[in-house]
Amino acid sequence: MKKKIFFGVIFILIAAGAVLPRQGFAFYLFGDKLRVKGSVYEFAIYGTNFDQSVKPAYRSTNLGLMKTKATLELLYKAVDNPCDTLNFFGFFKYYYEATPDIDDRYRKSIYKPALKNFKMCNYYPDEWINELYSDWYHGPWNIRAGKQIVFWSEVELIRTIDQVNQLDLRYSTPGIDPWDEIKMGLWMLRGFYNSQLPGQLVFEGMIIPDFRPVRTPIEGSFWGDPAGPPYKLQNKPHPPGQFAVVDEMWRASKPAVNLGHTSFAARIRGNSEVKFFTNTTYLLDWTLSYLYAPNNTPIARKKYLGSAASTNFNTDTMNGFMNANAFSRVLGGTQPTLPDHRFWDYRFMHFIGGSLQTFVPQLKGVVRGELLYEINHPEITADPGGTTPSYSKAITGNATRNIVNAGLTYDVPIKADWLRARSMQWLGANGVFDSSFGYFGQWRLGDVQNIRRTFGYQQKVQTGFTFTSRTGLNNNALTPVFRALYNTRKWGYTVVALAYSPGAHWRYETGYMWFFAHNVWDADTAHAKGKDNIYLKVGYEF
Amino acid sequence: MDMKGKRNSVSAGLLVLIILALSFPVLCQAGEVMYPTFSYNDQELAKVREWEKTWVGKKVTTATIDQVKDFLSEAVYKAMKDPKNFGADSLWFEVVPYQPYTVTKGMIEATKKYAPDSKIINQDVLDKFGDVAGIPFPQPKTGTEMAWNMDSNTRGDVHTCKNEGEVVDCRTRLERHAGHLRWDTFWMGRTDVAPIPKIPDERNNRGIFHSFFQRHIAPVDFVDTTMLEIRYKDFSREEDLWVYTAMFRRIRRYATSQRTDTIDGTDMIYDDHDGWYTSPTRNTYKAIGRADLLVSRHEDQKSLQRASGQGFWNGVKRERVNNWVVEVVSKDKDYIYSKQIWYLDPETWQMNFKIMYNRQGELWKTYEMFYDEYPTVQGQKAAYMSAEHTIDFIRHHGSPSQYTNHVIGGTVPLEQYQTSALKEKSY
Repeated sequence: MKKKIFFGVIFILIAAGAVLPRQGFAFYLFGDKLRVKGSVYEFAIYGTNFDQSVKPAYRSTNLGLMKTKATLELLYKAVDNPCDTLNFFGFFKYYYEATPDIDDRYRKSIYKPALKNFKMCNYYPDEWINELYSDWYHGPWNIRAGKQIVFWSEVELIRTIDQVNQLDLRYSTPGIDPWDEIKMGLWMLRGFYNSQLPGQLVFEGMIIPDFRPVRTPIEGSFWGDPAGPPYKLQNKPHPPGQFAVVDEMWRASKPAVNLGHTSFAARIRGNSEVKFFTNTTYLLDWTLSYLYAPNNTPIARKKYLGSAASTNFNTDTMNGFMNANAFSRVLGGTQPTLPDHRFWDYRFMHFIGGSLQTFVPQLKGVVRGELLYEINHPEITADPGGTTPSYSKAITGNATRNIVNAGLTYDVPIKADWLRARSMQWLGANGVFDSSFGYFGQWRLGDVQNIRRTFGYQQKVQTGFTFTSRTGLNNNALTPVFRALYNTRKWGYTVVALAYSPGAHWRYETGYMWFFAHNVWDADTAHAKGKDNIYLKVGYEF
Repeated sequence: MDMKGKRNSVSAGLLVLIILALSFPVLCQAGEVMYPTFSYNDQELAKVREWEKTWVGKKVTTATIDQVKDFLSEAVYKAMKDPKNFGADSLWFEVVPYQPYTVTKGMIEATKKYAPDSKIINQDVLDKFGDVAGIPFPQPKTGTEMAWNMDSNTRGDVHTCKNEGEVVDCRTRLERHAGHLRWDTFWMGRTDVAPIPKIPDERNNRGIFHSFFQRHIAPVDFVDTTMLEIRYKDFSREEDLWVYTAMFRRIRRYATSQRTDTIDGTDMIYDDHDGWYTSPTRNTYKAIGRADLLVSRHEDQKSLQRASGQGFWNGVKRERVNNWVVEVVSKDKDYIYSKQIWYLDPETWQMNFKIMYNRQGELWKTYEMFYDEYPTVQGQKAAYMSAEHTIDFIRHHGSPSQYTNHVIGGTVPLEQYQTSALKEKSY
């Protein structure tokens, strides 16, 4: 029924787009006071590299996603005079993921409590509100109150200082879905002061009583781990594996929205001229940022940790609950239900960061750098020895560590003379590959041997490289894009995509994603090995 | 010496004195600047008016184009002879009488004040650039002087307007709408809006010559994307360009070596903006002479029309003007155009149109700018673009657009040209 309503709304939106002024941009109502724009997209993923030995148990088709999404953006100009400007901005979304309806085995792979939230946009009651805030300008002041998404990063493909809003990674990877749709909005009060001090300093502050942890791919879904082995009895959902149970636990442990769980953030943005080495003047865009917020993954509450022994089946303790769940999965017994108390705790930590970007005439390109220092990053601990995989190890306690993250990119337009040749002019190419070469590094300080992590267990250093290149053909109606990431631990991915924007409204994008990894437990991205796919997005924008 | 001889000597002396006396103002005037400079002198204008008796009010179509071929550029003629290449069965324009421009009082005063001392130094640099205003060489002798004249046309110093157009594939007839709001301010070389001739150095410690801010309103994927570009007095310094991409919510620096990228997929590259957007020192120039051609300088947009899929405006009002012609070659040997031919207006030094040749030397594109005179906030009149089209002869592509909502000579806070404004003006 809900699906019918959903598709009904989509039909109305498309019909409205067809009837309202036939121009390829947002339309205005109430004497230009209200701007309306939006989109309807169908996003399909077709897996090309399923493990055929396990596929029959979990999949009837190769579909990885069949998601229909509608967005609506409203901007209302309430006050506009020389002293004050007051706008209200709202960005709403709704979606329906139909793969579980199409593929019976797929549906049974997903833990039932998570299935509803996965299929529809109702993880939280306000999930459909991506952003909704008032935006008041008075002289040098700008105050924004409401649900917002903050973008602090400068570099591509890598998030270092951009830590205010976490990501919903259940359906796709960043770069395929727009950031403003993949990021989860937070209710907050945010203020800016545009000073006229040297360096055109802009001071920014945030008070954020809301917190939403990262959403990783759910067990049984295309991007997630396989569900537990199927029951012998047919037509019964797969039993939940440890990841599905942990997801449920984490969700139940999310701190309530209140002042007691408030995050704070501050940033200074500047724009300064400096001379390095030679007489060349560099105009630097720089930021210094500070964030005090919970880590996006929680740590165990010692009070409810329980014994790490495999004989602990006390479901009031976390280790006991996990053992009981594993036991029920293997033997087909009754699955334990979560107790009233939380097992996990989202602990606050400090993020101190900075960024810099400038055009470097000698390089004919733009160099961007970011540095983030994580102080007291909460971690859980486990016995460092043995051969048990890290994710199966019993949790022994908590600890904190400091982590340094760095990102550096060099963006340069690479001219392609061959695209400008007379014989190639039919392509309508701009003849330039806008390319970005990136480096990122992470250094976990202190002893990491007893830190229990699912990915990158006991690894102190991560080093990676990225490359992105895009160009325009047919007067930018066609945009081929190549993206690649390589980590020195031999995991990474490449994406080849082609976007087509033929007219005012319709948008098409298709691409192929290939993942590789020497060890799938090196990183969450490495874990996507075997999830190679062809994707297709077809959308209508108004 | 007899009386008669004395009288003759006196007469001769008086004659010399009279001649000298009469010559004195002329000799003094030789150092003065003649400005404004109109397209035609009286004799030429009489001939033009005679020609106009036949043609004014007439609709010149593809069928009748040959009758005015002598007054059309090779590009316009070629386009109109093969209208199907640009998505039309027939292309046409209307001939209107030549109307001299009203040059602003400020521009005349600045030109008279600064032009007498104008000179080119170091081969292609305008001496005292940034500290002077007005047209530096009202009677130019070289292509370089003409290029600096064009660069000195500040079009009322401060402007805001809206630009909307289509990117048209004339073969498939597919169109993509693009549009933006724009603000631009000359910080130096100002003639009409105080402070003149420049914003004081203490308020411009970065030495900004010109700044440009743009907010996209279409296509829908680019709505709210904003762009800021700064050009400096120091012509050896690259322009700075920032783009706030609404889709990614990030302010990103762009390399200005991307200036040969097309703008929003139109047939124009960033350098084509306003004819030529960056410093004149990036090119070499060769004066070709004058060309009496039909161009559009009083286009009120009322009769502009085109069918969907048509990349070339119909209904353009064209008047005869004796343009200055300059051949332009980039100093960058890999530049996207092997050469350009600029057609510059003799009265305002705006670019009326230009023709671009590809690297194989073939006619590739033409960019025609259609102007109108708009009232300025100072109660004067300034010419500014009212419409334009760029057409690609090789791909049969076109980018017609219109400019509306002009405010010329108004106030744009300088804070608008700070990077913080990129986000403030956007969502």
